[in-house]
Parts: sequence; C-alpha cells; structure tokens
Amino acid sequence: MAKSDDCVRILQGLLVFGNVVIGMCGIALTAECIYFVSNPHGVYPLLKATENDDIYAAAWIGIFVGIALFALSILGIIGIIKSSRTLLLVYIILMLITFAFEMASCITAATHRDFLTPNVFLKQMLERYQKSEPANNNEVTKTWDELMLQNHCCGVLGPSDWQEYTSAFRLTHNDADYPWPRKCCVLDAQGLPVNLDGCKLGVPGYYNSNGCYDAISGPVNAHAWGVAWFGFAILCWTFCVLLGTMFYWSGIEY
Amino acid sequence: TMLPLLLLLLPVAHGIAELGYTPILTESPVLEGLTTASTFVLEQPRCIFEGYDNADIWLVVALDTAASAFNNSARPGTPETAFQDFPDSVHAYMTLNATLANYPCPKRAGDITVLRVGSETSCTQDAARPTCNGPLPGPGPYRVKFLALEGSEPVAETGWSAPITLRTAKSPSAISTTDSGHSGGMIALTTILSTLFAILLAGLVAMLVFWGSDSCGGSSTFSKPESVTVRRYNTHHVYDQPAAR
Repeated sequence: MAKSDDCVRILQGLLVFGNVVIGMCGIALTAECIYFVSNPHGVYPLLKATENDDIYAAAWIGIFVGIALFALSILGIIGIIKSSRTLLLVYIILMLITFAFEMASCITAATHRDFLTPNVFLKQMLERYQKSEPANNNEVTKTWDELMLQNHCCGVLGPSDWQEYTSAFRLTHNDADYPWPRKCCVLDAQGLPVNLDGCKLGVPGYYNSNGCYDAISGPVNAHAWGVAWFGFAILCWTFCVLLGTMFYWSGIEY
Repeated sequence: TMLPLLLLLLPVAHGIAELGYTPILTESPVLEGLTTASTFVLEQPRCIFEGYDNADIWLVVALDTAASAFNNSARPGTPETAFQDFPDSVHAYMTLNATLANYPCPKRAGDITVLRVGSETSCTQDAARPTCNGPLPGPGPYRVKFLALEGSEPVAETGWSAPITLRTAKSPSAISTTDSGHSGGMIALTTILSTLFAILLAGLVAMLVFWGSDSCGGSSTFSKPESVTVRRYNTHHVYDQPAAR
C-alpha cells in the first residue's frame, strides 16, 4: 500500500499547506479591516450621516473572521496531522460558520458600496452643510470643511453645486456674497482667501474648481473592494481546502 | 442762409451719440461665477467712450420687457431710477457710476476687466443709496446698456445688450438617490459565493450521512499507521500454526 501511503502524504501535505495559507490570509484580513475601521481618510462622519454605514459593519465582521480563520487553520493542521475524525469534523463545521459570516461581510460591503453614488453625498451636503440644528450636523459641516481644505476641492461635483441647488448653506449666506462657501477659495497661511473678489467671481487660480467626490469615493472604494474582493479570494481558497478536508475526513478509519 | 444754420443746429439738439457697442458678459477668462442666482459679470467698456473725458458713465439695468421703454433723460439717484424699488415700481435702475479714468484704454494685457453687477449687499434696503449695485431680485431676463452723462445731459450711449438670464436653483429634494442599480461585480460575487457555500453544505451533509459506511472511498482507506501492523501479525500466526503440525 505504498502508493496509497504516498497519496495520503501528498493530500496531508496539500491540506496543511492550504491551512497555512488560510491562517496567513486571516491575519492579513484582520490587519486590513483594522486599517479601514480606523478611518484614516476621515470620511466616516459622512457615511454615518447617510445612515448607510454598513461598509463599516462589514469591516468589523472582517476583523473577527480573520482571527477565527487563523485559529481554525491551526486546528485544521493539528487535525490533519493526527488524522483525528472528531477534530476535523469540528474544524469543518466551524469553518462553515466562519465562511457564512465572511460571505455576509463581502456581500454587504459590495452592496453598500453601490449605494454610495455622488447624488447621495450631494443631497446630504446640500441639506446638512452649515445647518445649525440638529447638532449632529456639526459633524457633517466639520468633515466637509476639512475635506475641502485638505483636498483643495469644492462641493461634490464642483462649486456650481451651490448654484444649481438651494441648500441649508444658502439660507444663511446670501448668493451675492457667498456664491459658494469660503472654504472653496484658495486660502493663505492664515486661512483667509488670497483674493476674495477673485474667489467670488470664480477666476481660475483663486478658487477650487474640482469636486470632492473623487476624494471621498477613492477611500470608500478602496475600503469596499478591499473587504469584498479580498474576502472573496480567501473564501475561494477556503472552499478548495474544505472540500479536500471533507474528502480526507471521509477516508479516515476510526 | 437760414437753412444751413438750422441744419447745423439739429444734431446738437439731439445730442446723444450712438456708440456701436453692445455690452457683453465677460468672455475671457472663463469665470465660474459669470452668472449666479443674483449677480452677473459684464466686460468693462474699454476704449468705447473715447473723447468723453468729462462724462459720468452709468450702467442702466432694465427688465427685458422694459428696455425699449427706457427714457435717456432719466436721472441717476432719483426715485425713478432707484435700485431699492426695482423691479416693482422702477423697471430700470442706474448704477456703477464711473469716469473714463476708470476704463483706461488700451487694456493692459493680463488684466481682468470686469464689472460685477449685484455685488453690493450692504445697501439693498438703504433708500439713501439709490445707485446701489445691489443683487438682482430674480432670474430676469435683464438687459443692460452704458449711458454717458455730462452734468445731467446724456451725451452718449451704447446699444442694449442681449437678454441676460440668471441661474435658478432647484430644490435638493429633486435629487434622486435611489435609482442606482447593482454593479455587475456585486452580482457575480453574491452568485459565486452562494454557490460555493451551497456546495460545501451539500458536502457536509454527504459526509454526515455516509458516516461510518465504507461505500465512499472504502478501497483507499487511510488507515492509522499503528493498527495495520497489528492485524497483519495476527493473520500470519493463525494460518501458520496448523501447517506446522
């Protein structure tokens, strides 16, 4: 039965290798999701304001799934080397539960990414920027001010957003003095417009003419696709390893 | 001799020179705020009013429908041309007073020569400032022309501009946020993952159903190393004993 022994050894080796890869990917997934949850680009308040921040829920699930994958991969390696039916059965069932959670996380991330179109942010900005009450609008205002300052942009699609639509901003700031917010102007070191008249006229060079949507959608896309597609890749690999483990399990004598 | 004298006097009596210039919105540089909801930006009338060094050059802003009815003998700074009553009782107001010194000719290259109509917000309600350059009250359309006055007498005018319509802002509730479809990537991801999960569940069920039976993979059983050696030893021993007798 030497040939069969060799086959066993090869299968064992492959499964151990597969579990090692799963363990490493689990750690990578945890690290990636912690990075996203820590919000390095500051767009979380805007997403929270859309009341559709399930992309963050998907990242949170990803953190715990990653840790679970790492732990289960160690269990799997022990179970394969010992050829223990019970250990491998526990491994398979827990892996399936983890698979289900990770699947939920990927689908959530992908679905909610599709929801975050420019119109969603445009409507939110027009209705809530510089609106004095309720108090949670201060978060939206502060986030937009920082976004426009750091990325040298204005509005979602451009400064004309403030002209094409009425807004909460327009209620408190008249059109002649503030065709668009002061933060859209090119500012000097003290935070004052370099040329206020040039900014109000819209002279190129004295105001920010691009929209901020790219600065928002860049990080959100990276976040959503990072969680969704990396998770998808891990799940495809896990699928193969689990099938191999099931086959191995069914061949163990007890 | 009287006839030539009379003919000489006639043009002097009319007095207003028709300059062949039409006011236009600024074309260069391209301005984002060329027209907003209450302001618009005109090109300055450079090199147009040459020779009228002593004249005051006024901008007349009128409703499109009232432009043709405007009388050049209207005086700036009077209730008939006050900005504050525009457009209710006043259909054309006069503002942006300037002299030729404000519009030097020729224009220096690189200079942005514009007039922003509607930029003064401090005097919109101030009746003491009838020549206020206040924000326009509606989207228009409006027509403008320049009028040069010496003392109180009009001496030169440009033509009326084309009708200028300002921007109208829509309400943000008109923005639709619900018609975004699902991207192809998301649908593919969901389908593939669901299929994989279903296969795994089927495999688990198959595993548990055939637990203990040798039907699946019985010929290539992966036995534990220790038990094989013991069984072989017993078989040999049983067969050998009777033959040895």
